[in-house]
Amino acid sequence: MKSFTIAAVNLKRFVRDRSNVFFVFIFPMLLILVLGSAFGGDFQARLGVIAESEDPLAQDLVTRLQAIETVAVVEADSAEGALRSVERGELEAAVIIPADYDEAIGSGRTVSVEFLARSAQEASSLRSNVESAITQQAVVLRAARFAESEGLATFDAALSTATATEGFIGDVSVDVVAVGEAFALDELGQFDSSAQTQLLLFVFLTSLAGSSALIQTRRLGVARRMIATPTQVRNVLVGEGLGRFAVALVQGLFIMIGTWLIFGVDWGDPILATVILLLFSLVGSGAAMLMGAVFSNDEQAGGMGVLLGLGLAALGGCMMPLQVFELIAPGLYTVAHITPHAWGLEAFDSIVLSNGTFTDIAVFLLILVGYAVVFYALAIWRLRVVLTR
Amino acid sequence: MTQRTLECSGLRKVFDDLVAVDDVGFHIDAGETYGLLGPNGAGKTTSISMISGLLMRDGGTVTVGGREMTTTSTDAKALLGLVPQDIAVYPDLTARENLTFFGRLYDMDGKTLKARADEVLEIIGLSDRADDRTEDFSGGMKRRLNIGIGLLHKPALLILDEPTVGVDPQSRNAILESVEHLSREGMAVLYTTHYMEEAERLCDRVGIIDHGQIKAEGTRRELVQMVGQHDRVRLETTGSVDAAVAALDALDGVAKSDGGDGSIELLVIEAGEHLTEILSVVTESGVAVSGVDIDEPNLESVFLHLTGRALRD
Ligand SMILES: Nc1ncnc2c1ncn2[C@@H]1O[C@H](COP(=O)(O)OP(=O)(O)OP(=O)(O)O)[C@@H](O)[C@H]1O
Ligand SMILES: [Mg+2]
Repeated sequence: MKSFTIAAVNLKRFVRDRSNVFFVFIFPMLLILVLGSAFGGDFQARLGVIAESEDPLAQDLVTRLQAIETVAVVEADSAEGALRSVERGELEAAVIIPADYDEAIGSGRTVSVEFLARSAQEASSLRSNVESAITQQAVVLRAARFAESEGLATFDAALSTATATEGFIGDVSVDVVAVGEAFALDELGQFDSSAQTQLLLFVFLTSLAGSSALIQTRRLGVARRMIATPTQVRNVLVGEGLGRFAVALVQGLFIMIGTWLIFGVDWGDPILATVILLLFSLVGSGAAMLMGAVFSNDEQAGGMGVLLGLGLAALGGCMMPLQVFELIAPGLYTVAHITPHAWGLEAFDSIVLSNGTFTDIAVFLLILVGYAVVFYALAIWRLRVVLTR
Repeated sequence: MTQRTLECSGLRKVFDDLVAVDDVGFHIDAGETYGLLGPNGAGKTTSISMISGLLMRDGGTVTVGGREMTTTSTDAKALLGLVPQDIAVYPDLTARENLTFFGRLYDMDGKTLKARADEVLEIIGLSDRADDRTEDFSGGMKRRLNIGIGLLHKPALLILDEPTVGVDPQSRNAILESVEHLSREGMAVLYTTHYMEEAERLCDRVGIIDHGQIKAEGTRRELVQMVGQHDRVRLETTGSVDAAVAALDALDGVAKSDGGDGSIELLVIEAGEHLTEILSVVTESGVAVSGVDIDEPNLESVFLHLTGRALRD
């Protein structure tokens, strides 16, 4: 009860400060818009196209690919260069149109268009884009051939002619070639993955900034005065922590709901997503309280907060996918799991990518609870020392 | 046997090498006002912090209303109202909000709390500013609110740590009056100060504290009797007084002397007889005397008598 009284006053004071209102509501909104325009809405898959022939049919296929709205065609010079770009993730996929494309089609041979991607599934939608472009081209080709040979004709005649001409046009097969290692998460759109990492980064970072509230309460002498009332140190700390927790939670929900409404970001099961956010905010507020109990100076805590907020997020996979870590340096993946961020991401990955249920993410949630308990316990211990020593 | 409102003994606190409080002990009964009189750094705040369960002690015992006080004893703390030396209120909350907040921490709520907050606002004379943020208050108004928070739950023991520092004479008088009023209503009061007049006016008993130790304790009359048949002489001076003080110490009839910035304090037997002698000794040491005060002994003379130093602001 005492903790709620303290949390309520903490929030009242927070809301009273205009700049905080900006911080809670307007800043996340800006963040959503910036993120959205960078990764959401008009996101286009980058498709490398290597046309090894200047012939009209090959060029026509390139034009058709360029016309697809969700695809940004990057014309590449060589197959090797495209291969490297795909491996590095600079391109989602690449298509190689062979030098004998026109000739093969004209002579009725089957021609292969190579489709390079990190994994077959990963670029499946891009692949069907390429296939449909080729199909469209084939349909037009057949119609052209038909018109050329017959002129105007009856429907029956046209149909039989079209069937008859089929033999003249070579089939185009799309051969999928997997290159490099598949590390990106299948089916996960770029914005989705980025929205979750950004959420964790942001929630933790702003939670840490909340350490200044505890430091202020201490500096004003109000923290000690609270201890002179029938109130335990743990109630003071939990109360101050709850206030910050509420702020972090509101900000997080704001981002989640905003990106979902505006950009259709998939957060998985909304209840599970909220539970993850809730526990992660609790961890963040616990870390903030620990900092607020350790540092007695706003600036120190502020600087440290930014450093830790960004550092832990980077280590925890919020700036580069955890799977990449394993490629860069074996063991780094394990080290990343020192951070609560890595566990939060695991939980999000599970519910977003594989429709994970509560049971699937229970372990991750439990670990987050563990972080919160440890942070709060250390903070209470530390605050008791600084207040009553 | 009546229960003592506060009983403490053997209090001790050591900061690194510094013994800040050393074997401090006293008791206060209901309706009694006890003063801790001592100069800066004497150990008043440190003693109070241990008594109110804010500071771990290195030794000693404290009971409030028979309940043992530690840093975690909420039942003992419920009996106690603390007015800290440094103003401790939220500047971005109004006076009423501050009162309500601390009232809740004292387990008050609803109508009782609201009514009591109004009552306290009346007592501290802030009713008309109740809904203004305290950051806009004058120093004296903040001090009064600081005191109000301590009164809120009608504690059995009210502890005030130098509550009048930096307050204008009017506010100061108002504060002293409300302490007198509360005491008459049966509250036990522990009052620290380094103003002799406040201790003399308010306190039934006074403990004189210096260097972490209580040097003497008693009613004003008891303490003054310790000084004996001495008068208190105060010389207003200009110039360096060190040589004069040394010369005065050697003089017959001068029990104690202490020189400070612009004044010399003396305890003298039969001041009237020795005054001419004193003045000539001082003038011979090259000090000009611009004024002389002779008084009955008071608590300040007691302090001088006990420590050889004057109790200065
Ligand atoms: N937290 C602390 N750490 C180290 N030394 C301390 C601490 N608190 C107090 N002291 C020292 O203990 C001694 C007693 O200090 P205290 O604050 O109790 O004096 P005081 O009688 O209240 O003085 P004042 O009239 O100036 O308030 C001083 O020498 C002070 O420097
Ligand atoms: Mg003090």
